[in-house]
Amino acid sequence: MSVTVKIPSPLRPLAGGQAEVKVEGATVGEVLRKLDAQHKGFADRLLDGQAVKRFINVYVNEDNIRDKRELDTEVKSGDTVSILPSIAGGNSGSDVSGTAGARYV
Amino acid sequence: MLRIPETVLREIYDHTESSYPNECCGLMIGTMQGDLREVHTFRKCRNLNTERAHDRYEMDPLDMLKTTREFENSPWDIIGIYHSHPDHPSRPSQTDTDRAWPNYSYVIISVRKGTVASANSWLLNESERKFYEEPLVIEGEARK
Repeated sequence: MSVTVKIPSPLRPLAGGQAEVKVEGATVGEVLRKLDAQHKGFADRLLDGQAVKRFINVYVNEDNIRDKRELDTEVKSGDTVSILPSIAGGNSGSDVSGTAGARYV
Repeated sequence: MLRIPETVLREIYDHTESSYPNECCGLMIGTMQGDLREVHTFRKCRNLNTERAHDRYEMDPLDMLKTTREFENSPWDIIGIYHSHPDHPSRPSQTDTDRAWPNYSYVIISVRKGTVASANSWLLNESERKFYEEPLVIEGEARK
């Protein structure tokens, strides 16, 4: 069964610049491994053994797979699997020695 | 270069000032052609880090999913992230660098005592694991 995998901008170079790819698979794990077979490098960026890497979120339609069965989450034909980078940071650990940059007028 | 309409940047600044003394974050939506990135609009996102919201942010992935879906059939895409540094400079911290992704513009806004002091845009060089500043051009500013 074919699902659509949505690829975020930071990972598109691995897929030749494509924003989405059609992949076959019955579970999220199968889909991501087949994605890696089609476009080498995805497994290294997305998977940590039998789990999704900590700073990656994967959704099947509107559901985070961490709230389901992780990589064993089943998919059906027509589903959308979205790969999302985890976005975080903050001024904790700031180098405060630098200049503050251009001032807004 | 990141070009951003002054009206959009002003609304982003409003978000950072109303969130002070906590950090806030959001997504910038627009186009990318080579080194030229143009912001069309933005979406505020929730900061899930409530324990250390004064110096950390963790964007709600559901907000990112919703924004991705909202613009998937449009000419625009998520091209970057903005977040605030309350009472700290508008340059990346070690935490920012550790958690950064390539291909996104990271606009950091310094908010001092509740008022925006400065803003700079940064791009990650992934092989060096280091941020480099990119020019931030505010459209419409010259007309003021």
